[in-house]
Amino acid sequence: MRTRAVLGSIFGSVAVLVIGWQAGAAAAAAHSASASAAVTTSGTTSGTTTPSTSTGSTSSPGPTSSSASKSSSSKTYTGASADTPFGTVQVRITVASGKLTDVTAVHLTDNGGRSVEISNYAAPILRTEVLAAQSANVSSVGGATYTSQGYLTSLQSALDQAGLK
Amino acid sequence: MHRHVFSIMGTSVSLSWRGAELTRDDLAEVEARFVDFDDRYSLYRDDTELSRVAQGTLALVDASEELRTTYALALDWRDRTSGAFSPHRPDGTIDLSGVVKALAMDAAAAILRSRECRNWCLNVGGDILVAGQAGDGAAWVVGIVDPDDRAALLTSASLGGARLACATSGSAERGDHIWALGAPSPEFVQVSVIAADIVTADVLATAIVAGGSVSLDVATRSWPIDVMTVDVAGQIRMSPGFAEAMSAAASLSV
Repeated sequence: MRTRAVLGSIFGSVAVLVIGWQAGAAAAAAHSASASAAVTTSGTTSGTTTPSTSTGSTSSPGPTSSSASKSSSSKTYTGASADTPFGTVQVRITVASGKLTDVTAVHLTDNGGRSVEISNYAAPILRTEVLAAQSANVSSVGGATYTSQGYLTSLQSALDQAGLK
Repeated sequence: MHRHVFSIMGTSVSLSWRGAELTRDDLAEVEARFVDFDDRYSLYRDDTELSRVAQGTLALVDASEELRTTYALALDWRDRTSGAFSPHRPDGTIDLSGVVKALAMDAAAAILRSRECRNWCLNVGGDILVAGQAGDGAAWVVGIVDPDDRAALLTSASLGGARLACATSGSAERGDHIWALGAPSPEFVQVSVIAADIVTADVLATAIVAGGSVSLDVATRSWPIDVMTVDVAGQIRMSPGFAEAMSAAASLSV
């Protein structure tokens, strides 16, 4: 449930920024937008570059970081990190000419040391992309439960027979 | 690599291991644990405790603490999946086969973990739980069957770190322990879930088959799991973690 709150606050932050920028907030000397919950995203229009920092806190208040990249008309902003069941996550947005052009997850690692995405959404993948792994040297075969009878003709049975010899 | 194969719960169990030896007594103890679960929960025999509950000859309040605990766990999963997973058949009969196999695997794993052997792979009817590695520096790689051609692999994925269990459910299992959430036809013909433990993987694979893409999105948002689904049109979907596990498997095969 906490994940949902985190994601909600991220989208909330982004929405605030988009609305802010589109409303002409870019004209302001400094603008900051923050969500009340776990992730805070903020930025300035001055183009000043501050080293990106993350507090590792889920309740970091106010502006936390801002960094300019690319040209003066395109800037990226990195939000504070937040702990979730998937690991520690952070979101980075790119704003160009006052418009939000990109939202990317900052790849951090989970407890198992793997990089994680901010979204665990299952996305479509082409069959040709999964073919490469078909020839892998598998130790075991997974599939919907087979019966004792079905086992005899299963790939797992073939593996077992090869292994039992 | 050593292997031991036996039949139980209407399916087959395949245990492979390497390194320290598992004795004949160790294997007998593992088998006995599966027999215990089958003796208590099978609905294919009239004499089990759960069959007597289903027949109405044993009141639930008089059932063993083990059975009531398992039922409570299944009800908890029903609530956490908004009913996509259910321990009740449409006619109301308590059917715990959605969790019993995974619980038996967990119990068998507890035995294995108490032995010297650190590297093993337990496959029960296509659901897999591993410990350690398949070889020095080489993760366990599991192949996932192609639902359109059960003699072929669709893809494979590596297991390790915090992802040790892989369960696969198919819509062909409907009528067994998967009941639709009012949907006239299934969206997914096969769902594989990789998780830290086999109960979570198995329950969520079942819930996603039953609840379709709504359950899929809830599951990937709410639990740290990796998922691959195959829909009725043959379209494959993967969560980022599953794609990573697939890439890792592909690189191991080179």
